[in-house]
Amino acid sequence: MTDVQAPASTRPLIKVEGLQKLFPIGSSRFRAPDAHVHAVDGIDFEIAPGESLGLVGESGCGKSTTGRMLVRLMDPTAGSILLQDGDEMIDIAAIDKRDMLRFRRRVQMIFQDPFESLNPRRTVYDTVAEPLTVQRVGSVPEREMRVAKLLDLVGLSPADTFMFRYPHELSGGQRQRVAIARALVLDPSFVVADEPTSMLDVSIRISIMDLMLSLAEEFGVSYLYITHDLAVARYMCDRIAVMYLGKIVEITDTEELLSNPQHPYTKALLSAVPVPDPAYRRPDVLIKGGIAKAIDPPPVCRFVDRCPMATDFCRTHDHPDLVDKGNRHFVACHLVESSAG
Amino acid sequence: MTISNEVSNDAPILDVRNVVMHYRTEKGDVSAIENVSFSLKSGESFGLVGESGCGKTSMAMALLQLQAENATFKGGEIVLNGEDMLKMNPAEVRSHRWSDISMVFQGAMNAWNPVHRVGAQIKEAMDLHIRPQLSHTESRERIASLFEMVGLDPEMMDRYPHEFSGGMRQRAIIAMALSCDPQIIIADEPTTALDVIVQDQILTELKKIQHDLGMSIIYISHDIAVIAEVTDRMGVMYAGKMVETGPTIEVFHNPKHPYAFLLLSSTPSITGPRRKLAPLEGEPPNLLDPPPGCRFHPRCPFVTDQCRTEEPPLAEIGGGHRVACWNWESVPPLSEGLRK
Amino acid sequence: MDTKQVPESLQRIEVQIPDRPLWRIRAGLLWESFKSNWKLFKRNRVGLVGLVVIILFAILGLAQPILFATGVWDAKIYDVRTGNDTRVRIAEMTVVANVDEVIDPTSQIDRRRLIAEGENVQVGDVIQRELKHPWPPDRHHLLGTDPNGSDILSQLMYGARAAFGLGLLAAFVTVFIATTVGSVAAYFGGWVDSFFMRFADLLLMLPILAVLIVASSFGRFKLWHLAIFLGLLGGFGGTAIVLKSQALSVKVKPFIDAARVAGGNNWRIVTAHLIPNVMPLSFLYVMFSVTGAISSEAVLSFLGLLNIQMSWGLMINKTQSAGYLLNPATWWLIVPAGLAVTLLAGAFYLAGRGMDEIINPRLRNR
Repeated sequence: MTDVQAPASTRPLIKVEGLQKLFPIGSSRFRAPDAHVHAVDGIDFEIAPGESLGLVGESGCGKSTTGRMLVRLMDPTAGSILLQDGDEMIDIAAIDKRDMLRFRRRVQMIFQDPFESLNPRRTVYDTVAEPLTVQRVGSVPEREMRVAKLLDLVGLSPADTFMFRYPHELSGGQRQRVAIARALVLDPSFVVADEPTSMLDVSIRISIMDLMLSLAEEFGVSYLYITHDLAVARYMCDRIAVMYLGKIVEITDTEELLSNPQHPYTKALLSAVPVPDPAYRRPDVLIKGGIAKAIDPPPVCRFVDRCPMATDFCRTHDHPDLVDKGNRHFVACHLVESSAG
Repeated sequence: MTISNEVSNDAPILDVRNVVMHYRTEKGDVSAIENVSFSLKSGESFGLVGESGCGKTSMAMALLQLQAENATFKGGEIVLNGEDMLKMNPAEVRSHRWSDISMVFQGAMNAWNPVHRVGAQIKEAMDLHIRPQLSHTESRERIASLFEMVGLDPEMMDRYPHEFSGGMRQRAIIAMALSCDPQIIIADEPTTALDVIVQDQILTELKKIQHDLGMSIIYISHDIAVIAEVTDRMGVMYAGKMVETGPTIEVFHNPKHPYAFLLLSSTPSITGPRRKLAPLEGEPPNLLDPPPGCRFHPRCPFVTDQCRTEEPPLAEIGGGHRVACWNWESVPPLSEGLRK
Repeated sequence: MDTKQVPESLQRIEVQIPDRPLWRIRAGLLWESFKSNWKLFKRNRVGLVGLVVIILFAILGLAQPILFATGVWDAKIYDVRTGNDTRVRIAEMTVVANVDEVIDPTSQIDRRRLIAEGENVQVGDVIQRELKHPWPPDRHHLLGTDPNGSDILSQLMYGARAAFGLGLLAAFVTVFIATTVGSVAAYFGGWVDSFFMRFADLLLMLPILAVLIVASSFGRFKLWHLAIFLGLLGGFGGTAIVLKSQALSVKVKPFIDAARVAGGNNWRIVTAHLIPNVMPLSFLYVMFSVTGAISSEAVLSFLGLLNIQMSWGLMINKTQSAGYLLNPATWWLIVPAGLAVTLLAGAFYLAGRGMDEIINPRLRNR
């Protein structure tokens, strides 16, 4: 699929095409796998420079796997991840060892658990300077200076009082600030943020999200913001992609998605989100049960078993393509008419 | 099953009065619950909201008298049906626990013993608490009807916990909490680890059961959106203290404690206009050495000198709405954005 | 590939960085962490008892060369092998009917032997006579002498040095290998993991004593041979399996992923992130390995399989070959060495238990 999803005026920073990840089940060195879990099954999306794309879905939908492939913590089974590099696009999925280090400068990640994503035996300085150290950037005093400036920028000031503390001496919010500083120390153009606030207390969350937003603006960073919380995605993201069992079922601008959801799954997801207002009455959630694993799924629409609107057409035709229904609103559903926007 | 469908009368079935509980640690006393009072009427649902370490789970454990070994009560009463649980001996507490007041635990996976069938674990709880004991067939019938009530296939009772999905395990936990026909259920973060669609199903189920059986539920959650959906009245806890209580709708629409106000203004929502949220600066205090005066004063934008030295009482401001703040009148109305 | 400029705001920020060089800051942090760990260790009586015993034995071992160097002890008398106190010591002895009735050789003597030497005595007579070695403890020999006339205390002190040398060398070899093998196996998985783990299984199945007996028939083992051998055995064997499981639990932590995203290669991740988080457990296993090595040495020396100057096991071995092993009357030949093996091996174990509390916070706060 070659539909341009990002604003046409700018070239995309990231362009993902046909990205797929299969996990073998029951295989060993001497045995072929019995089946595969289709964790991510042929997804396409683009992210413009400076844009932040939210990837939402229930646990097990493949959103974290997607994020891990984008930073090459996992190798894709198929597909390409194109990253803008000067005037050309290079394929991260096929990058060789030599270019890997250079790629690491451009793409960074912020992890979910601030208690586990920092090495407990290294100081804040060591952690934030780690990318500089392994990339051999600058001398030691230069690194110290740069780390100190970043700590100041992420709100850990005065920096010299935080530099040589260990993670266990910091609170959850402070640790996540350290993780953000580490992700930004190399001036990346793209950061994958995997639920960076879900383990934090409500009162800390907004300040971390605000920090990420202001840093994105200042550093010109694009985010892939992975979350299960649509309210958080709304606060953080310009566009939102909804994933279901390894497929993107809907992708469009944030407010368009919230006010005018088209895919039955998106509608169900939106109606299930609790609203912090006792007077608000949510619409009923029309789908039942929980998400299953996509183990060698049939080629029909992934959502057909839980879909309240499924017809015989859905049960006999292949999984629908992600099609622009108008107004750059992409939906993968047989039943949604065009020009929905 | 005896289904009591009595309408809530005014006498509370649970009355928590000025409870003070400290944890004794090597580094000193942690004042986990400081002078907390609230009451629960029959058929009512009450929400306790606050961030981790605010004392809400300690409160739940205190209500069941399952507090940690290093916990000591320094005062107060927990009156259940006219009897003070803090004055009971362990045998008396056991006779009330589970049959009068039971709990839906946080983290459904850890609450089940993986080597026993789910039905057998529920039966064990019933054998311990229901007098006279039910026969084997009666127990199975009762578990079957409980499973149906929470939306599980009764045949699942002979399965092991790992055969249940996360949502099903949580349903089974609810069945277990209901098994001894309690008057009160404490639901501690009942849906925290679940996806929103399953969360919606569980909360709907709980509301339906509460309505059908006329029981009271105390919801404990850090997620104020969940509290908004399911509770009639609520209390906001901060650093071991109750800072605001009242009818849920009143607290949400007209928060008067600065902490509640900021918590609500800093909660993102998918409804209403998209707007910048006001962050809550700073971190909760260390309860080994809580700040003097109002415990929120170091983070409070409305702080005055009085707050730094004098502890504000939880005072009625009308309509059952109580606030522990000297300057509640200077807290502005919540912007229209959050409502509707 | 770098198309971006450093954000201007970053250049504007004015910050203070510590003016001390990095290595001094790190040394300070190390000292701080040592102090706080020591505080934790001190609270545990068991660990403290272990440490005190270890220190006492260390002093014992270190004191021996000093005693020789300062001339307090004469090497001719106190050397652990060739030393022989040729002074004449007279003791009162009771005459008994025959050899079989001699229970305490330092106060009883066989009549037939005296008669053969031309002395006419009756059973029950008490005679003055020169005492043959082993001598019971006295002013010159605080723990007595052995049947060759060599000082027991001196042997015990030398044995302490042997035990420390062997125990620590074996333990460090064990833990060095086990940490490396465990971390590498856990991190890389696959055939590397299978190879090392099957090799570990093989070593665990091996009847070590039998192998050692066979090996010693080809040429007698020196002490450091044994230390290396025990180190290899533990390092590739059981300890590797334990440390691998620890490394596995570290490997799945997100900070390992974070290090990969930062651009760290395998070498960097294993050495800078995996191993430092396995190290606390490794230190613990140093302690436990010392215990094992000291006990093994005692058994092997007792069986006479080692080619060594002196050790506690050898002291027991010599007592046994001289026929004094099970005689409570000559207790000083056997008790000091036996007790020393037990105490020092136990002390390392106890100190390890004390360290366990530092490493496992779960054991604390009770």
